[in-house]
Amino acid sequence: MKNVLAIAKRELRSSFNSPVAYAVILGFLLFTGVYLYFIRGFYAVGQADLRVYFSIMPIVLCFLVPALTMRSWAEERRLGTYELLLTLPFSERQLVLGKFLSSFALAALALLLTLPVPIAASMLGSFDAGMLATQYLGVLLEMAAAVAIGEWISSLAKNQVSAFIGAVLALLVLVLVDRVASFLGSGGLVASFLNWLSLSFHYDSFSRGVVDSRDLAYYLSAAVLFLYLSAWGLTRRKWS
Amino acid sequence: MIELRELRKSYGGVEAVKGVSFVAETGSVLGLLGPNGAGKTTIMKVLTGYHFPSSGTALVDGIDVSEDPIAVKARVGYLPESVPLYQDLTVAEYLDFVADARGLAGGERASAIERAVASCGLSGVYRKKVEDLSKGYKQRTGLAQAILHDPPILILDEPTTGLDPNQIIEIRALIRSLGESKTVILSTHILQEVEAICSRVIILSEGRVAAQGAPSEIGDALKGEERIVLRLKSASRPVDRERLSGIPGLRSVASLESESPGVWAAEIAMPPASSASGAMEAGELVFDWAVANGLKVLELERRRLSLEEIFVKLTQEGDGR
Repeated sequence: MKNVLAIAKRELRSSFNSPVAYAVILGFLLFTGVYLYFIRGFYAVGQADLRVYFSIMPIVLCFLVPALTMRSWAEERRLGTYELLLTLPFSERQLVLGKFLSSFALAALALLLTLPVPIAASMLGSFDAGMLATQYLGVLLEMAAAVAIGEWISSLAKNQVSAFIGAVLALLVLVLVDRVASFLGSGGLVASFLNWLSLSFHYDSFSRGVVDSRDLAYYLSAAVLFLYLSAWGLTRRKWS
Repeated sequence: MIELRELRKSYGGVEAVKGVSFVAETGSVLGLLGPNGAGKTTIMKVLTGYHFPSSGTALVDGIDVSEDPIAVKARVGYLPESVPLYQDLTVAEYLDFVADARGLAGGERASAIERAVASCGLSGVYRKKVEDLSKGYKQRTGLAQAILHDPPILILDEPTTGLDPNQIIEIRALIRSLGESKTVILSTHILQEVEAICSRVIILSEGRVAAQGAPSEIGDALKGEERIVLRLKSASRPVDRERLSGIPGLRSVASLESESPGVWAAEIAMPPASSASGAMEAGELVFDWAVANGLKVLELERRRLSLEEIFVKLTQEGDGR
């Protein structure tokens, strides 16, 4: 665990020493804010409900998370520090977890900085705090899965740009695949499989204020699966 | 101590190391020499646990690198060829991360960082960002990283590239002193470096060991011939190639020129002492021949092949095959 934290600490230091992390987080806050207040006209609608705000999170995460994870492995390879990391006494699991933790922390920080939005809204009317908590929990869980996917793609990519594009595309497919399902109609086997696959389908119940253990299990197992794939990839490289 | 037994390593379909065995003792500096692509870096990557061997074994202090890579990594300090630095960290933050990774804590940690900073001459740039450092300081920061935890094994891939002559002398002195108590393996393509710091040298060519030994003795071992530089004075007949061919056992005449009237300089190749006729040394044979032919020997010197010549000879022979 000490090693995992050492890796995460180094990552976060690098992130905060460079302007990229600040820019990405600022961009996220600006976009979600503009969407809520100007595009959807939060004040004009006159409803103290943030469902609108949380409903765009799955799509926004498709861009936020890749922007935070693209550097992860691709940058290490460019700098040659990949060789340092793999010759320091870390196990592959510790490396993967440390990097996951730091990217997840940044994403969670971005989300934490949205708190003024519900706080400001709560001054306008009565709010369901429990619902808000599940909405945040849903976003955090989806973030965990998305960060694991972004990290994995970064570990395969040759450079940051391809890591970013690859992760955006992969996440968009996973988020939008339930729209395809709704075209097909809700009954069929294919449709329910596509729904099951979708990152946003599992998010829906959270955004309605419901915590379903199946959705919880989906996000956690997706995160674990991709962390495992990353670690496996690192080990496999040593043999080739 | 490091031991390699019949180490082989292939990437994809290409075999980069084709059965290399050697032992590097504690308290020695072993130099790996060879042209690009000879397998130096690959051997180092296996010894640092970055790659696993395709076959054969690599033991670091008796630990097999593919069985317990973490234990091996804990013992090894490694400076890769492309210095692994995080550009957006300061030297202090960078060494702090390495100290974390090495599990250094408390007073031990502070003194380790202080020692590495002092011996690599980094105190002036300690608070600077790595991206703002000159190439020499970057190289030294990389070296500080490698020696931070005072490892018993030190593996340095071309440690003096990018340094100016003064820095090279400092760093070589540092490596030499580290070599007194540790096992140091370094790779280089600078031959003087091998002569300056290595107690043993291994010349690699196309993934195989072409020669090994102390830098001074390695020449004798592989030459297969003795080179003799001669200056001869002849009062009457000129010295020509035909006359030189009278030397018993002569292999070839590398050069012959008239220096001044009546004085000739020549370089000749003789068979090595063991196979020369009558077990006489080559110099003896040449001297006796000169006396018998009424020539005065002004100079007679047995010439050692320089490492450069050995290197070129060995590695080109490899290419020709």
